[in-house]
Amino acid sequence: MRRTAASGRPDKPLVVTEKIKGAQRLVSVSPQARRIGISVGLTLADARARTPDLWVEEVEARADAGLLAAIADDCDRFSPMVMIDAPDGLLLDITGCEHLFGGEALLRKAFGARMKHAGLHVRAVIAGAADSARALARHGHIAIVPPGEDAIAVRSLPIAALNLENDQRIALSRAGLKTIGCLADRPTRAFAARFGEAMTLRLRRVLGSVEPPFTPRRIVPTLWAERRFAEPIGRAEDVEAVLADLGREATEKLVERREGGRVFEASFFRADGAVRRIAIETGRPMRDPAVMMRLFREKLGALADPVDPGFGFDVIRLSLITVEKLDAVQTGLDGHAVEAGEVADLADRLSVRFGADRVLRFLPEDTHDPERAQRAVPASFNPLTSAVWPDPEPEEPPLRPSQIFDPPQPIEAVAEVPDGPPRRFNWRRVTHYVAQAEGPERIAPEWWRRPPGEPTRDYYRIEDDEGRRFWLFRSGLYDSPETRPRWYVHGVFA
Amino acid sequence: MTDPSNVLTFLAREKATAPASVLPYAELVAATNFSFLRGASTAQDMVLTALLLGHTGIGIADRNTLAGVVRAWSALETIREDGLPAPLKVREGGSPGEHTWIEHPDVKKILNPEELKKRAKEFKLLVGTRLVFMDGTPDIVVYPQNRNGWGRICRLLTRGNLRVPPGKTRAKKGKCLLELRDLISDPDDLLLIVMPPDDLKGLEEILVQVRNATPFAWLGVTMLRRGQDARRLFCLKQLAARTRLSLIATNDVLYHSAKQRDLQDVMTCIREGLRIEQVGRRLEVNSERHIKHPVEMQRLFRAAPEAIKETQVFADLIRFDLGELTYEYPDEPVPPGWNDQDYLEDRTWFHARMRYPDGIPAHVEKLLHTELDFFRRHDYARYFLTLYDVVRVARDKGILCQGRGSAANSAVCYVLGITSVDPADFDVLFARFMSDHRKEPPDIDVDFEHERREEIIQHIYDRYTRDRAGIAATVIHYRPRSAMREVGKVFGFSDDVIARLTGLVWGSWGGKLTDAQLEQAGVDSSNPVFRQALDFANRLLGFPRHLSQHVGGFVLTRGRLDELVPIGNAAMDDRTFIEWDKDDIDALRLMKVDILALGMLTCIRKAFDLIHVMGGPKFGLQDIPPGDPGVYGMLSRGDSLGVFQVESRAQMNMLPRLKPEKFYDLVIEVAIVRPGPIQGNMVHPYLKRRNGAEPVTFPSPSPEFGESNELHAVLEKTNGVPLFQEQAMKLAMVAAEFTDIEANGLRRAMATFRNVGTIQNFEKRMVGRMVERGYTLQFAQDCFNQIKGFGSYGFPESHAAAFAQLVYVSSWLKKYHPAAFACALLNSQPMGFYAPAQIIRDAQEHGVEVLPVDVNRSAYDNILERTAGGMLALRLGFRQVDGMKEDEADQLLARRGAGYASISDMRERGRVSSPMLRRLADADAFGSFRQDRREALWEVRRLPNDPLLPLFAAAAARELGEDSAVDLPEMPLGEHVTADYQTTRLSLKSHPMQVLRPLFRAEGIFTCAETSALRDGHWARTAGIVLVRQRPGNGKAIFVTLEDETGITNVLLWARTFEKFRAQSMGARLMLVEGRVQKSKEGVTHLMGARVFNRSDELGRLSEDYAPVEPELTRADEFRGPSAQAGMHRHPRNVRVLPKSRDFH
Repeated sequence: MRRTAASGRPDKPLVVTEKIKGAQRLVSVSPQARRIGISVGLTLADARARTPDLWVEEVEARADAGLLAAIADDCDRFSPMVMIDAPDGLLLDITGCEHLFGGEALLRKAFGARMKHAGLHVRAVIAGAADSARALARHGHIAIVPPGEDAIAVRSLPIAALNLENDQRIALSRAGLKTIGCLADRPTRAFAARFGEAMTLRLRRVLGSVEPPFTPRRIVPTLWAERRFAEPIGRAEDVEAVLADLGREATEKLVERREGGRVFEASFFRADGAVRRIAIETGRPMRDPAVMMRLFREKLGALADPVDPGFGFDVIRLSLITVEKLDAVQTGLDGHAVEAGEVADLADRLSVRFGADRVLRFLPEDTHDPERAQRAVPASFNPLTSAVWPDPEPEEPPLRPSQIFDPPQPIEAVAEVPDGPPRRFNWRRVTHYVAQAEGPERIAPEWWRRPPGEPTRDYYRIEDDEGRRFWLFRSGLYDSPETRPRWYVHGVFA
Repeated sequence: MTDPSNVLTFLAREKATAPASVLPYAELVAATNFSFLRGASTAQDMVLTALLLGHTGIGIADRNTLAGVVRAWSALETIREDGLPAPLKVREGGSPGEHTWIEHPDVKKILNPEELKKRAKEFKLLVGTRLVFMDGTPDIVVYPQNRNGWGRICRLLTRGNLRVPPGKTRAKKGKCLLELRDLISDPDDLLLIVMPPDDLKGLEEILVQVRNATPFAWLGVTMLRRGQDARRLFCLKQLAARTRLSLIATNDVLYHSAKQRDLQDVMTCIREGLRIEQVGRRLEVNSERHIKHPVEMQRLFRAAPEAIKETQVFADLIRFDLGELTYEYPDEPVPPGWNDQDYLEDRTWFHARMRYPDGIPAHVEKLLHTELDFFRRHDYARYFLTLYDVVRVARDKGILCQGRGSAANSAVCYVLGITSVDPADFDVLFARFMSDHRKEPPDIDVDFEHERREEIIQHIYDRYTRDRAGIAATVIHYRPRSAMREVGKVFGFSDDVIARLTGLVWGSWGGKLTDAQLEQAGVDSSNPVFRQALDFANRLLGFPRHLSQHVGGFVLTRGRLDELVPIGNAAMDDRTFIEWDKDDIDALRLMKVDILALGMLTCIRKAFDLIHVMGGPKFGLQDIPPGDPGVYGMLSRGDSLGVFQVESRAQMNMLPRLKPEKFYDLVIEVAIVRPGPIQGNMVHPYLKRRNGAEPVTFPSPSPEFGESNELHAVLEKTNGVPLFQEQAMKLAMVAAEFTDIEANGLRRAMATFRNVGTIQNFEKRMVGRMVERGYTLQFAQDCFNQIKGFGSYGFPESHAAAFAQLVYVSSWLKKYHPAAFACALLNSQPMGFYAPAQIIRDAQEHGVEVLPVDVNRSAYDNILERTAGGMLALRLGFRQVDGMKEDEADQLLARRGAGYASISDMRERGRVSSPMLRRLADADAFGSFRQDRREALWEVRRLPNDPLLPLFAAAAARELGEDSAVDLPEMPLGEHVTADYQTTRLSLKSHPMQVLRPLFRAEGIFTCAETSALRDGHWARTAGIVLVRQRPGNGKAIFVTLEDETGITNVLLWARTFEKFRAQSMGARLMLVEGRVQKSKEGVTHLMGARVFNRSDELGRLSEDYAPVEPELTRADEFRGPSAQAGMHRHPRNVRVLPKSRDFH
């Protein structure tokens, strides 16, 4: 209900759990789970005892908040005044918007259809006051309250709709006051003395006699221009043309106001609900649509993933977030000094020229396995955390060569059993006679990664009689019956 | 590779490849799994492997602890005696005795135990520790040369354990903080091996310091195939030469076999809290750190053979054996001028005369003489005097106590007041303890009232001082759940998957899990990682995880305790505990006194006090008149709620079948409902014989071999069916003429049951001799099989007798002082099987009037009152009210005087805080103001939240001003009952089912009482509140106990029915069951459930009695369909109408 699984949706009752005071408790359950008597608040262990076969997901507060924010973004299309009512609600101030949809009922219908299309189950209520609507949505049956009748509509709601502290809720119910109506019929002073002003304020809000301040989640732009399309548009040139059009429209308004914009934001509402916003910011206020378009174009071009129209955009809006009095002159850009990190800069330029996946650098990996001890990544890739290269021992020869072969190259070698270094070996049709050797360094395979039976390796640092230095290993041990040892050269020292 | 387990194959190879002379070698640096999450093998495997490989000895050194060394020592002792390693103990349940023994996996590979025995006799075990320092010093392994050196190590570790870390106020449990100077300031009698770190820089300086402090220091050197071994060896050689130290070869062992490497890797992950793919270079690079064959070591160290030879020099310098830790009992209990034995005899005869004022019965006198002689021979006088001392202190403080355990059934213990089972009426089987061949210390557990045990513990600390008294450790082992959880984290499983995998471990862990089991748990059986994880968890089982303090096992010494064993700080304030657990202490034969807590003793003492306060006599445990037929009659009806030990469902069912008539029947009752007799199939034969359905016969030997009734004496009391562990021993001694030594050997083999080796010898000997003496082969074989059964589960008669005494005392209280008994039970909660609601109800059914909590009548505890009619009534106390604190209640009481007049009086005069007034109002405790819950709550709610300052009290009262009149609806009964349950977990007003009765009556549903009255086989539909859900061991059936206003119904669901109605069975608080009534001969009724319904929703009717009136609006759209979300935001507590049942999971 709260999250649609990306893949593999088992046909099982879904429950979402959260760790509350050390116990996994259910925080929401699917209708299927509810039907078999599994309810919110149970511990997972209890729920399992009732129905062992559950589809359990752990709550991901961030993902849920992200989804809610995405829905809120999409709701911008109904009204720019959207407020998040965490954890799972939205409040929309639709004052003055309903005529765009042909009235409240049609707006609600359009809204419902859109949410249903997105796979969301919603309860939407239109009422005079925000808290009345919210209480009715969570606890009631009424969908649209006629103007001025909030106070009547909420009468039958349970006092839970007031969203009070648990202890206050119990106290009211112990007093036999179980509905909003019961409270509304009695003198407010009696409640204020017992439950405080906050409670009576809540009551009055739910009754619709007091409006809470409405804080929309996005800055309401100073001015905006938008286009709605019956048939979503998707071609880049169409989009650009619309944007340029909106730019002209906006600049006209700016001229009227003798202002220039400093922060411009283009919002692309995709038909499937995704909203992409691109903002440009200028050093000085300006109102030249051509300049604005150039900046937008650059920004669009610079994006790693251009605005993907999907099945097309059905609304495009240009908002001016910040406007200032417009000065007469607009200065050009200065050249900028090269800052620190010239190598990084070079890497950036090379990456731009040859493609990010062709300019690589090595990152250390925390493992004993020499083949995995380093990892080549695009130079521009900056990991959040990374292992550190092992410290070389001062005054000691390096343990690992500067160049390794991937894969290791098989060689023929003659060596003393069971674990002596090779006396001589053939590599690329040349016989090398070993002058000095050190080892073995025995490296066991990573059993959790490698298939079972992968042999252990004994590594040797070798110097041949001509002074060339190699890193050889024997795969498999002479005294282990399962594997036949083979020799490889894995690298050469500089 | 050297396969350590196969000594014979290796010996063949040895001949082919061994150098001309094999240098003797001993591995001197071996860590066991007591180096927590580092060592990956048990001490036993270490010792065994070293023996098999032909090492001349082994040195066990765990990190800053000696906790594991006793295991190594015991393992070696066992191998010396048996030529085989000891079998492994596998737990099967949580209760004592619920374990079984499995053979050590290497046993089959040991082809020649005699050879192993011989090797073991010459084998040298070095016990020491690896000191890990906080100041950057490299690890130093130390071994004591002699007893004195051992004391130094213990003191050193104790100092480290108790050292307060900088910036902290007390030492941290499990951390040993050491500095090099702690060691080198006093290194006499110690041998040191410095283990060089990876980076040799700065090592020379430390070596010089060590060298200057003691000549007995070595430099350890390893050849672990790290790539630079030869270079490093060369450096260390030079370093050793410069510092005049000798090199000593070691393999710095972490596990006994290279095969343990992966487990060690997993343990490293657990230690570091990382997943296996994250842990990287923290792992060992290879599997070299196992015990290696001497030939292999010699080859690795061919450049320094002197380092191999040095191991022998080192081992030869050690003269210490753990067996030297002989124990001397403390002096305190013997007054100056007395000899301990004389004093014990003096006290014994003195108390004997007191106890038997009419003269000591002859057989008791004889027993006393025998026992005292025995104590003299074994020098046990101080042990019994110490116990006598503890028990006397308890008596002076008015704390009830009772001893039990193998030695507790002695007549001396009875006359000294250590136990309360009179040897005069009870044939004491003390022989189990008294065997001249068992050089084991006596073992007596003393139970004290659980609420006051701490006083005794502190007394022991005071009397013997912390230098000489310490609590034993309990080793917390990996259990299936904990092992699976930690291994699951290593493999990165989600909490959910881990929960599923741990959930798999319901029964025994031993067998491999089938794919079906995995699938059933919702785990993908084709994923090898799950199996791998399960396998690791399995291997981790039984490994120690950390040390904790034992519940009450004290070790007392004559000399300094910290020179016997290291002492550590417990998590609890004022507690210190030693590093050894019960088994270690037993193995070393140290003296231990178990100071245990028993809730029932608290309850009995409280009942005694109540009786006395209400004008009755002052009873003690030994004052209860024995043999009361009324008590036995009550128990025979299964009327045992609240009674010690026999109140469980299973016991309640057994009581009417056994029909106890005398004390010994209670002893049997306690012992018979146990896994041992049940699995050994002894229950039915016993019951049949007891009820006369089968003749009681005693097989006899051929006349030329002995009296025909020789077994009569052994088995008479249990109708010829052996039920107790002691009887098994006696059986072997009498029927097979086992000597003391043989019987003792058998007892040991029994306790550590094994399939091969010793037990078979005993079997042959016992069956053979019995047949020889004229018993039938069948009988002999049966006897032996029963003995084998006891190996796992035997319940000793001596424990059963001590428990039976408490069964009798608590039953007597229940029978003759039901009000006091119920009151004491409630005041001792949490305890036993039943919730307060059932205790109250049982009391009411026994004619006790129960009165509600009232601010002007109640105390914190529940109390007794005289009613107008002179009867005793039980007045509920504030402790029954959720959230009431004792000190708050005491303040309320202190200012109560003649009583409070009103709520405002309570607030002003009593200075009772608003939150507390609310709690009291919610609990409906203002009955004496004639204010019901709703009214009182409404009034209390108006009071300001903050505590009242006395000065402003009067002013505040005025400030409240006039209240607006609000007429509140009257609270219906159902809602009262619900609120009662929510605040006090019981209701005196009604039963929830009674309120709902009209509803169920209309559906034709029976009450519990009606169900019980039905004939066998009748079909019934019964509903009730679920009290308990149980799933006994084998899981074939599920028992559910339902309760309504008329009584209880026991429902039995077969596993198939349960699976079908699982959601209903587990989820219902109010359950409706349809099924057939089954009645046993003894009148025990069960409802055999066929269908189960969850009717918990009906409970909502109790409180949510309003019917929402739909508002009239001019025009409004509405949702179609029901309001699905209505229950979504409810807090779990609000949903709960009744307290939770007791369930299995």
